[in-house]
Amino acid sequence: METMKRPAATQSQKLMIFVLTMALYGMATLFTELIPSFQVGVVEFSVEYFLFIPLVLSMLFDPISAALGAATGELVFSEIMLGQFGGLGELEKFITVTIGVYLAGRMVKDPKNHKMVGIAALTGTGVQLFLGMLVDIFKVQFAVQDFEAVPGLPESVFATEGFAFANDLLFSGILFCMLPTLYLVPKLYGKIEPLLGMEPRSEKTALGAINGKVILACLGAFAVAVAAEMLAESGMSLIDWEADWAGSGTALAAGMVVAAAAAVIVLVIMKKRAEAGKQN
Amino acid sequence: MEKMMQKLSDNILDKLSMDFLRNQVLKNAYGNDDTFIAKLDPRVLLVWYLFFALVPWFVDRLPFLLGAFLLVAVTTVMARVAGLVLLLFVVGVFSQTGYLFVVSLLFGGNAETIVPLLILTLKVATVSLASVTVFSGLDPDRLSNGLMWFGCPERLSFSISYAYRMLPMLMEEFQNVLLSYRLRGNAPDSSGFTGKVRYLIYQIRVIIHAFYPLMLNTAKRSRTTVEALEIKGYRNAAVSPEVKKLKLASLKVGYDDMLFVAVSFLWMALTILATTIL
Repeated sequence: METMKRPAATQSQKLMIFVLTMALYGMATLFTELIPSFQVGVVEFSVEYFLFIPLVLSMLFDPISAALGAATGELVFSEIMLGQFGGLGELEKFITVTIGVYLAGRMVKDPKNHKMVGIAALTGTGVQLFLGMLVDIFKVQFAVQDFEAVPGLPESVFATEGFAFANDLLFSGILFCMLPTLYLVPKLYGKIEPLLGMEPRSEKTALGAINGKVILACLGAFAVAVAAEMLAESGMSLIDWEADWAGSGTALAAGMVVAAAAAVIVLVIMKKRAEAGKQN
Repeated sequence: MEKMMQKLSDNILDKLSMDFLRNQVLKNAYGNDDTFIAKLDPRVLLVWYLFFALVPWFVDRLPFLLGAFLLVAVTTVMARVAGLVLLLFVVGVFSQTGYLFVVSLLFGGNAETIVPLLILTLKVATVSLASVTVFSGLDPDRLSNGLMWFGCPERLSFSISYAYRMLPMLMEEFQNVLLSYRLRGNAPDSSGFTGKVRYLIYQIRVIIHAFYPLMLNTAKRSRTTVEALEIKGYRNAAVSPEVKKLKLASLKVGYDDMLFVAVSFLWMALTILATTIL
């Protein structure tokens, strides 16, 4: 019974929360990844957001474990298991989901306060979508050289991204994040915590309001996400510079072809010999 | 004609049933561990993936990108990836850039806009196909071992192994809860447009309601999992170098791995040669 009295979660309880959020949110994102979205004109109706699951859990339990669990779940279940892992882009998604869910979880002091739960759910979704939109715009800007020079491209990127943001926030944000959260949080409050051996969150056991440190940490994490994209840009000039310095490109490439062909032939012979040796 | 349309829509609905989705996912996860790709060393494959995930972003020459794309397309075929995953990949890549092209036409773009977009599409396609090869072609246990060797957090490789083991159970439980909700409720009439909308809202509500028992059940299960892990000393084992050494002892680089790398290298060298000549 001693654990019931402790205000903050113990290490193993944090791991429980992590596993719980990861499994649930991961499975949900797996389904959304598999169900194709359908479009009516430019309005896209997709069940993109099962984000209410980590939102609910982060309001009831330790927010940072729930947030990390949700981001890992999405990464593992829907990206790695389906083989849709996209490299750099995934880091950005991981960080934005973590920030959104964590902020929403920190905002709620008392899960019985309906108004606060609703506001927090919408804020968390909004933050996640907004950061995602910013990174998307950066991504196109870096991937396409002479971004400004291509006619019509900058405006169209801003328009499509801005529209997608507004659409997602109004459609998925309210329908799939706020309403389910408002339904599930009061229903689960006081019931799910004892299953993990914890005391329900109240004014006393809450972690405290969002302060400057939290916001600073979030901004820092977002800077890392953007820095990953910036790195790509500077890396491009680095490789170009090296190619210039190498001088005759064709001769170098021909040398590489010869070396690679030699390696393939040697390896095939070695493999044949090894197999022959095994049979004897 | 009407009959054919009816048949077609029935066919599509059949394909999109829960069981179909589950089978595709399971097939993707467990079905192909006897391919050439699956037998390769995970560390070698991860390094190979790193090359194809990073380099295409930095290069803008069309022959090089085309060559890289062809190579990863061949490896994807070799990995025997499930059909649904490939379909999703195609829809994902082309809806993204195709949509952008149509909108840029609205803002006064022309046929010139298509060249940078084609390059962008090739880049995205190469990177995603490389990841399809590695992450769907490889056995999850081997993948998590490979990640661990490179010093990834133990929690990530634990999550991957856990996900692969738990997923079939979780999906089955979700389906059972969903079906029991359907049995008890009275579904609204789905004829006509308003009926269809009402039916959709009903479906979404059932899914959201189903998460209530699901969350409670999963909470119980995750507590059991963590307690079982604690009994085996998981938190200590995760940081102990001896345990890690024991776990990674099964990894071995063979001739096949070297051959795979050498052939990939040969192909890329040829494309670089083509790029410099053209």
